[in-house]
Amino acid sequence: MTFLERTTDARKLRHWEGNMEADYIYTSGVAGERFFVALRDQGKMLASRCAACGLDYLPARLFCEDCFAELTEFVDVPQEGRVAGLTVAHLDREGVRLSRPQVWAFVTFQGIRGGLVHRLLVPPGRARVGLAVRPKLKAREDRVGAITDIEGFEPVGS
Amino acid sequence: MRVGIIGIGMTAFRPSTPEYSWKELMFEAASRAYADADVDPRTQVDSFITCAEDYYEGFGIFDEFTPDQLGGALRRVCTVTGDGLQGLANAFMQIQTGLIEVAVVEAHSKASDLITLEGIVEHALDPIWNKPLGAHPFVVAGLEADAFLRGTKTSPKALAAVVAKNRRNGLRNPLAAYGADVDPEHVLRSEERFAPLRALDIANPADGCVVLVLASEAAAKRLHANPVWVRGIGWATDSPGLETRDWVQATYAELAARMAYRLAKVRRPTSEIHFAEVDDRFSYKELQHLEAIGLAKRGEAGRKASKGEHDLAGPLPVNASGGSLGCGNVFEATGLHRAAEVALQLRGDAGTHQLDGVRVGVAQSWRFVPSSTGAVAVLGVGR
Repeated sequence: MTFLERTTDARKLRHWEGNMEADYIYTSGVAGERFFVALRDQGKMLASRCAACGLDYLPARLFCEDCFAELTEFVDVPQEGRVAGLTVAHLDREGVRLSRPQVWAFVTFQGIRGGLVHRLLVPPGRARVGLAVRPKLKAREDRVGAITDIEGFEPVGS
Repeated sequence: MRVGIIGIGMTAFRPSTPEYSWKELMFEAASRAYADADVDPRTQVDSFITCAEDYYEGFGIFDEFTPDQLGGALRRVCTVTGDGLQGLANAFMQIQTGLIEVAVVEAHSKASDLITLEGIVEHALDPIWNKPLGAHPFVVAGLEADAFLRGTKTSPKALAAVVAKNRRNGLRNPLAAYGADVDPEHVLRSEERFAPLRALDIANPADGCVVLVLASEAAAKRLHANPVWVRGIGWATDSPGLETRDWVQATYAELAARMAYRLAKVRRPTSEIHFAEVDDRFSYKELQHLEAIGLAKRGEAGRKASKGEHDLAGPLPVNASGGSLGCGNVFEATGLHRAAEVALQLRGDAGTHQLDGVRVGVAQSWRFVPSSTGAVAVLGVGR
């Protein structure tokens, strides 16, 4: 017989509590600004184009990771994507068990290098790789220009 | 110039360490390493390299806190913000310059000090594109495990075989925190966490410290040491973006291995390397890493694991130490621990998990979720 569970909780031991105050604002940068303004105002996603490599990057960025060129051209990302990978999370961000599991997916788009990791808005039993999906956006008045303006991805036709 | 490991010091790995502060863990491992190498750190060590990340430590500018407990006060010290195997590469290069003859590498974990471990790991997610979504950071591992299993047609049963092997191997390693008699069915019945990963597929955190003493061939001879040679070492990073990296294969490990094998003149890893210690902090990572470093063909590692080929008595023992699943996740000390385990095996000092007749072994590291950085070291004895 061996033990599977052990105590890793240091709060049960002699200790002093402390924290690292660490609050930031994160600026989204030139390419991020273009992406998030278009998402907020026009409800569409942009990719940044590297003409030299023939690549359209999502997330949009200012530089090509292949050739190091500065990217200044933007193109529309197709409305529909497909689920390229998925997982069902049973724990929330703090490690607490979720009463309803969350489905997370990596969504890719035809002709786009990259994609987006986001929530997949289907029950775990309906989640499958290859599913055609589109972004579900918050209402225009609720959008602030952040990745959370997308609530998640939902099946096309739903 | 050849560079060898002449001293190995480790504390036991434990779920918590109430009696020691993190500095005292370092002091114990360092004292063991200096006793093993029979060197005085105050007069015979030229350089001290620590490997750490401030967020894991809980305070800023970690490198300023390091000298005293290593015997390195008023000496050359530096910190590599990375895994311990990257620190080993740094020591290797410092000695190769000829400016340094004896160097010390240290890495540790005091994970039990972290109340918000998930939050610390979450801080490594991109703050614009990923972190605001509010996912547990291990969602990244769940997505990658899914991609690996589908991309290589590997069965989840192979993951269970990896967990059972490593937890059982941990029982033979007196330093391991999580050795346990687990069978594959037990793994497959454990709680779902980040599908396809279950609770037992994920290594639990541990405290511990590893210190290695390295020397040039001339210094090793002068110190009457019996070195384990660093035959080759390499490191690489894939795209940091979750969206543009390779989800199926561990490209960073493949590139790191290519560099290490080139230096070590290893042309056919499957026949020239006798055993491996690879990162297994999620069960699928062991299989993915074995394929990346050329010790299994793509899609083969899982089948080999299921057939017992990576067991202690198999043709290619993998994580005989118990790995991170058996010993515990010691964060930035993970790779250095694996190098230490490989070196102990090559010296014949691995105790009840000693492998027979091994002369060349490989240690491989990864910087944990959500990184795409890894390192590989080829260690050997004899000419």
